[in-house]
Amino acid sequence: MKGKLEPSVRQALVEEGKNLKEGLIFLEEDLVQLTDKLQLEAQSIPNTTHPDVPVGGEESSVVRKEVGSQKNFSFTIRDHLQLGKELDLFDFDAAAEVSGSKFYYLKNEAVLLEMALVNWAISEVSKKGFTPLITPEIVRSSVVEKCGFQPRAQNTQVYSIENSDQCLIGTAEIPVGGIHMDSILPDSDLPRKYVAYSHCFRTEAGAAGAATRGLYRVHQFSKVEMFVFCRPEESDKCHEELITIEEDLYASLGLHFKTLDMATGDLGAPAYRKFDVEAWMPGLDRYGEISSASNCTDYQSRRLGIRFRPSPADPAPKKGKGSSGPTQFVHTLNATAVAVPRLIICILENFQQEDGTVVIPEPLRPFMGGLQVLSPKTR
Amino acid sequence: MLTCGRFLSSSPSLSPLRNLNLSLLRRPHLHLLSSATAAATAAAATAVEPDPKGGAAKPQWKAAIDFKWIRENTDTVAANIRNRNSTANLDLVLQLYDEYLALQKEVERLRAERNAVANKMKGKLEPSVRQALVEEGKNLKEGLIALEEDLVQLTDKLQLEAQSIPNTTHPDVPVGDEESSVVRKEVGSQRNFNFTIRDHLQLGKELELFDFDAAAEVSGSKFYYLKNEAVLLEMALVNWAITEVSKKGFTPLITPEIVRSSVVEKCGFQPRAQNTQVYSIDNSDQCLIGTAEIPVGGIHMDSILPDSDLPRKYVAYSHCFRTEAGAAGAATRGLYRVHQFSKVEMFVFCRPEESDKCHEELITIEEDLYASLGLHFKTLDMATGDLGAPAYRKFDIEAWMPGLDRYGEISSASNCTDYQSRRLGIRFRPSPADPPPTNTKKAKGSSGPTQFVHTLNATAVAVPRLIICILENFQEEDGSVVIPEPLRPFMGGLGVLSPKTK
Repeated sequence: MKGKLEPSVRQALVEEGKNLKEGLIFLEEDLVQLTDKLQLEAQSIPNTTHPDVPVGGEESSVVRKEVGSQKNFSFTIRDHLQLGKELDLFDFDAAAEVSGSKFYYLKNEAVLLEMALVNWAISEVSKKGFTPLITPEIVRSSVVEKCGFQPRAQNTQVYSIENSDQCLIGTAEIPVGGIHMDSILPDSDLPRKYVAYSHCFRTEAGAAGAATRGLYRVHQFSKVEMFVFCRPEESDKCHEELITIEEDLYASLGLHFKTLDMATGDLGAPAYRKFDVEAWMPGLDRYGEISSASNCTDYQSRRLGIRFRPSPADPAPKKGKGSSGPTQFVHTLNATAVAVPRLIICILENFQQEDGTVVIPEPLRPFMGGLQVLSPKTR
Repeated sequence: MLTCGRFLSSSPSLSPLRNLNLSLLRRPHLHLLSSATAAATAAAATAVEPDPKGGAAKPQWKAAIDFKWIRENTDTVAANIRNRNSTANLDLVLQLYDEYLALQKEVERLRAERNAVANKMKGKLEPSVRQALVEEGKNLKEGLIALEEDLVQLTDKLQLEAQSIPNTTHPDVPVGDEESSVVRKEVGSQRNFNFTIRDHLQLGKELELFDFDAAAEVSGSKFYYLKNEAVLLEMALVNWAITEVSKKGFTPLITPEIVRSSVVEKCGFQPRAQNTQVYSIDNSDQCLIGTAEIPVGGIHMDSILPDSDLPRKYVAYSHCFRTEAGAAGAATRGLYRVHQFSKVEMFVFCRPEESDKCHEELITIEEDLYASLGLHFKTLDMATGDLGAPAYRKFDIEAWMPGLDRYGEISSASNCTDYQSRRLGIRFRPSPADPPPTNTKKAKGSSGPTQFVHTLNATAVAVPRLIICILENFQEEDGSVVIPEPLRPFMGGLGVLSPKTK
């Protein structure tokens, strides 16, 4: 319509333009709705899977490594609840009144034991180049979702705060993943490794049964978590590094455990590959999960918007948004260093003596003022 | 009036006088309705459950309030309420209490009459006489049901109003607002710096200790990540405090951080008030704790402690969560006012006659801790206008924060006497040698007299404020910070925080 036109020609064009504009507005609305629908549906597509991961349900998981063996006791053993009672370490009853079931107080040496596990883990892992972090435990629900969790699902594991879009974290993985949200990391910064200490809160909705007595399944616990941001081609190697750190930690405590390569039916949506460590808990007469190490490749970073700019020597990947050079999504990995309650179960049940005392693993003693044995209180 | 209808239908064979007596009884109910409305509007933000029938609100729990004592000491209570700027309505409480007593008497009288009628019906009677008695019994029963309902509503209203009456006050507490608080002790003095000092945010930035920006994205404002040596510093402060305090006979505890809202209320906090400091969990009666005082106070809820156990002293470590609703301004930048922080708290359950002494012990422990860190601080005896409802007496410690150019509160030690224990239901059984107390309460189902314990709480370390103090007071010209000696063994011997080379 630029330039001179006959009025009638101009009028016809104006009409046509108006119709096109209205049609466009409708279509653009449709496009927005369709994009949203596409996004919602697509978000639930799980991550790809490492070719070596066994296919099947939980029973198909494969043992990668086994350390130690089940100890033979020459006396009738106690479970951690009995030991805790005689050693005056826990109070579940008062916590049930004050807070509800699956809550607990730690008392006396159990407090020192928790602090020792946390201090020791941070100390050991930071020696390997991991930056220590203490994180927020309240986060926006969108960040929870971007990490692959579902705060609004029925039977969700996530506690939500009233009158707010905030939630409690179930793992430090969430605030640590979020620390580089919507960022482009310099290539020279990678791999960026964090060791993060936080309390974790889980509703454990839908979990019941005897196996959840005592400290095994609780709503609140302390955890030291390792988290890595790395280049795509490094994530398999980082995964191996993380699981090795875990295995070294638990071996040094003297625990007997198996490392499992989890089968496809047991991977969470974000995980490309997941190694779980299950330790022997004689009082419960079973192996119990004490840690999990996942390689989430770019599942979380595509949601959290975490990219890096490869150095010029690297091959050219995708163009990043609004940048002059190409960026790629980082890979993220997370791995439990210590989940305190389950390690307390392991320590109490494995290192108990006939008289109800418990021997403290050597690496922890310096963090407990040299204390070597937990002994029953004289009353 | 609607209820009078009941009595109009009563048997004509009943004496007119009895009718009159019964209808007179209904008047307190009318009176009650009007006072109930007044109460509803006057009520402070106390714990209420909305009554689904649309009637007056119900308290979720009952405090064992000594109404008799309040009635006998009205002037003291009234002056105390004024001095504390409390919104408690003493006149209403007294009025409701009198009505309660009167109504209770009436209920008992009706019960006695009903029993008398029931007794009369034993044995042989003329059918017409029996019929009359049955009618009378029925009327009495209906009247009784109505009055008992009134009594329940009245008791609830009384409880709600009375719960907001603040604790009594120690005679030495200065009367007035914050400015009337009195300095009890001063340790050290403001350091003279011969260079331009940095505040904790600048120091933290150069030493790579915090990240507020990422936390604002992930969680919101007033959240933060601690990084690198700040993590070691937090762990050191916690470990050191637990070690030092447990040496003095305090039992270490790690507590739940999610608790039932009723426990929060029983400790004297108000989760449902507007601008509440308390975070609530969705679809639940649970809240996040703002201090370990709550789960520790709750650990002996509804219990009778053996006398030999007292004083029972705990040192508890927890994270604390506070909405800080209504708090704003420059003084709240950085670590000074945050939504989540770590704290080591001391809590004592003791005999009433020991609580003043325990309060002195707690404040002394705090002063020793901060002096050993090398801080300059003042201990204040807080004035009546600045005491929370539960506190009989409160000592606050304010430490010098040169980067903020002000004194900032780093701890608080309160003697709550029996305010919390009357709500949490924590008693003890005095040993036989002790003199009988003035308010001997019989415990439920026990054979001897019990008393309410006294509770006290005091901050050992509140981590972020101590981090501010340490960074700002012990900074050097080059931006490094000297770590206080007592903390070094807990930081692997680290003596100085130095800026990172990049």
